[in-house]
Amino acid sequence: MTVADACATEDLLSRAVGGESAAFTALVRKHQRLVYSLALRMLSDRHKAEDLAQDVFLQLHRSAASIESAAHLLFWLRRVTINRAIDRLRREPRYEDVSLEEGLLLVSDACDEDPLLQRRLRELVGRLPAAPRAVVLLRYQEDLDPAEIARTLSMSINTVKSHLKRSLAILREQVGNTAAMGPDGTASRLEHAPTKHGSVT
Amino acid sequence: MRAFVRRLTFACILLPAMLAAALAAAPDVRVKMPNFGSLAEKASDSVNITLDSALLSIAAGFLDSSKPEDAAAKELIAGLKGIYVKSYTFDKDYAYPSADVDMLKKQLSAPLWQRLVGVRSRKEQANVDIYMAIDQGSANGLVIIASEPRQFTIVNIVGSIDLQKLHRLEGKFGIPRLQLEEKK
Amino acid sequence: MSNNLDDQLRSALRAVDPGDEFAARVMARIANESMRPRRSMPAGYQWLSAALVAAVVFGALIVHDRQVRREQQGLEARRQLIEALRVTGEKLDLAYRVVNDEAHAATRENPGA
Repeated sequence: MTVADACATEDLLSRAVGGESAAFTALVRKHQRLVYSLALRMLSDRHKAEDLAQDVFLQLHRSAASIESAAHLLFWLRRVTINRAIDRLRREPRYEDVSLEEGLLLVSDACDEDPLLQRRLRELVGRLPAAPRAVVLLRYQEDLDPAEIARTLSMSINTVKSHLKRSLAILREQVGNTAAMGPDGTASRLEHAPTKHGSVT
Repeated sequence: MRAFVRRLTFACILLPAMLAAALAAAPDVRVKMPNFGSLAEKASDSVNITLDSALLSIAAGFLDSSKPEDAAAKELIAGLKGIYVKSYTFDKDYAYPSADVDMLKKQLSAPLWQRLVGVRSRKEQANVDIYMAIDQGSANGLVIIASEPRQFTIVNIVGSIDLQKLHRLEGKFGIPRLQLEEKK
Repeated sequence: MSNNLDDQLRSALRAVDPGDEFAARVMARIANESMRPRRSMPAGYQWLSAALVAAVVFGALIVHDRQVRREQQGLEARRQLIEALRVTGEKLDLAYRVVNDEAHAATRENPGA
């Protein structure tokens, strides 16, 4: 987030707190991808994700005055979305599988990527337990480093690292199996490479 | 209407008056215990128990009827209105103030009170007096005055007393065997 | 095609947009919420309900305290009753022993009596 972007967000925030609904609408538009995507990947259901994302913005509308900065807003949205999703998964634990419809809808539009593999990855992430799933999403969707994930989820950094390590091992194994038995007879070779935040150990 | 007013007058005035008269007629068998302040000061151990009817009923509520000793104690206190005990134990032989004991004994006069037992033991150097209040043929009060060289005890039991029931408590709660059977 | 898992995950989990109408739906819900009559009580009633809750909690504490005291009183009364019965039994026993001893002594002193 650039300084100008943060300033713009904070301006919208203060105007929204002042009761300007257009400013709040702009805030929603600016952050709807983040909130909806987290909700969707946590719940694996478009309708429930839409519902949850709307709930998050309703809550933001009520507590906008307590948000101090643009960075705080991002932190708040991630935290509230993940917590609400985990609460919902606890109440309705049958969200394990990504439907075929979801898989097709979420196929990436980038032409240099393997759409079947990505669909399979989304399925597998959707099958992870709630806490590791949240960690993986914040790491790979939101590009947060383990310390930021730990703050967002109120976990220790070691727990975050442990979740990431185990989740990646599971995903690598599962994707490896899928690839080995892939319909085209070719196996994708997946290796864990260091990221811009360093490798997770 | 007049009949109703008469009944109301009866209920409001006469019934309480009759009840008060009946209560006044019942002999008061609770004796006025001396203070025994000097005894308490010198005693190495003193017991001062005051159980009126309210406390007796509370105590009865905490006796477990399924246990034989509790059931027997519950039965014994069913007809009692009060138990008052003062007992002083001394480290060495002690001469009790006779004035206090005389004041107590003055209250235990005929015709209400009858001395059942008045014994002086040379062997045990003990004096025991047992008084019983007899009203209309039934015992409804008991006083025991026991002075031993190192212990002085006064017990006042108010209410209908059945010594046989007390006898059933022998050997329970540390109550010694009374050997009442042999007395028969 | 990237062939490492990190890149594949980043790509697979790329954020998706809920659609152009999403913000409008959120604003409609907000408008709906603000039009709905508030269920919350007026300030005076909120104080009243807080006072009621406090009174109930206070009452429960008093009842609990009374129960504890009553139990303590009952156990103490039971202890006193047992002590009183023990002392009474002991003194009746003493009287019996003294009567017996004196009777035996009289028999020994006057064997012909």
